[in-house]
Amino acid sequence: MDILAIVQANVLTPIVLFFILGVIAARIKSDLRIPDAISSILPIYLLAAIGLHGGIEMRKTGFESMVIPMIAAIVLSIIMTLYHYQILRKIGKFNIFDSYALASTYGAVGAVTFSVGLSFLRSQSISSEGYLAAILAVLEPISFILSIFLVNSAAVKNIQKKREQLLSEKELQKKSSSTDILKDHPKQEVATEHKKAEHNHTFTTSKEVDELQKSVTTKSNMLEVLHETITGKAIVILLGSIVIGYVIGEHGFESIKIVFDDLFFGALVIFLLEMGVVAGQRLSDIRKVGLFLIIFALVIPTLNGTIGVVTFTYLGLSTGGAVLFGTLMASASFIAAPAIFRTAIPKANPSLYLTSALGITFPYIVIVLLPVLLILSTTLHGGTI
Amino acid sequence: MRLYNIKLLTITCEIMAQNFVKDILKKHKITGYTSYEVGGLGDRGIRGQGLPEEKNVKIEIVLTNESAEKVVEEISRTLFADYAIILYLSDVQVARPEQFT
Repeated sequence: MDILAIVQANVLTPIVLFFILGVIAARIKSDLRIPDAISSILPIYLLAAIGLHGGIEMRKTGFESMVIPMIAAIVLSIIMTLYHYQILRKIGKFNIFDSYALASTYGAVGAVTFSVGLSFLRSQSISSEGYLAAILAVLEPISFILSIFLVNSAAVKNIQKKREQLLSEKELQKKSSSTDILKDHPKQEVATEHKKAEHNHTFTTSKEVDELQKSVTTKSNMLEVLHETITGKAIVILLGSIVIGYVIGEHGFESIKIVFDDLFFGALVIFLLEMGVVAGQRLSDIRKVGLFLIIFALVIPTLNGTIGVVTFTYLGLSTGGAVLFGTLMASASFIAAPAIFRTAIPKANPSLYLTSALGITFPYIVIVLLPVLLILSTTLHGGTI
Repeated sequence: MRLYNIKLLTITCEIMAQNFVKDILKKHKITGYTSYEVGGLGDRGIRGQGLPEEKNVKIEIVLTNESAEKVVEEISRTLFADYAIILYLSDVQVARPEQFT
């Protein structure tokens, strides 16, 4: 198959076409919406299906083969989150909260993107390692926890710095006031003015400290964040389904196959229609996120996806497995991340990480990057496209 | 039937802030409230469409004036800066004032 055919085969799939339909529906202000109850059950259903398949496959292949890829994925996810932060903070000049939230959104994995990757591979009749579902589950909380931990420690450090500054300023003020007395300054008025200014200054600084303190104490309890992240519905249903899949095996799966296998891609299509509508509603926000973030949202997934495909090809994964790993590394989280960051890093602007992940990166991966990663993986595996 | 004057505090906030609001209510020993999901239009555009995290909730609390002042003070101090919240206080009448703190 040539490159054009792969691109065509990827773009003209029901998944992509329904996503585009959703975007168009939102743009022309159609009242097309998937009812709330259905759009909230779909992610649960998709994760359950992915988990069951993963569990069944893991039973066949055993745990040993997944240890090294899992460690590699965790290390990559941490490194990526850290360098995203450096890029966003140093080059993009985002504030510390937005930088960490964005860094983590892009360092985390997207379960929806992963599902689309699975269906893309299936449409090309390429198989992949089943334990990837387990890696998805393990990777999901790592980047969030890392970012929340770092943002909290940075804020705590900032508070200390501000406090020390305040203290040293106060000492300076004491010294200067004592010299004033020595000089026996005649102009009383100037002195009062000076004191007023000092007072104002101290006031604003301590107010800043208060503000910072608040951002930490709102949710500084890492255990609470950890609990919230790990007991989130995505992780519970995914891990639970993996265990159930492992226990029931292929034989037990027969009875529920009609729902969790045959319906999977149909359900994914409906979910992508919904995602299209939500992405379409955010399209006008893209201008607001700024050129830097638009470029970041396109370049970083490409880079991370490439690193993913190369690393996991080198680690001995199949063509399909490497593509899925690349997709995991490239993807940005837009279902789990907003729910976690809005409470854990409330000072980060949600429209930045939501719009870039859902409005820019997701369509880019689904339409452009997936075929590119497949071509790369096929070439690296010595196959012909 | 005799009715007694008391306050109704209505808080409309983004859904992600509701647990913080409820924590504050609990802290001030407010024993009851009514909450429901709502949509609307405000500073942050049309709410109630899109992702589940972008919905709004409306929380209604019947309480004494003293409690209302404390709750409003804490909400404005801790949540106004980071979350989409509006609140207003109104006079209402109830039949059983002892139910409300």
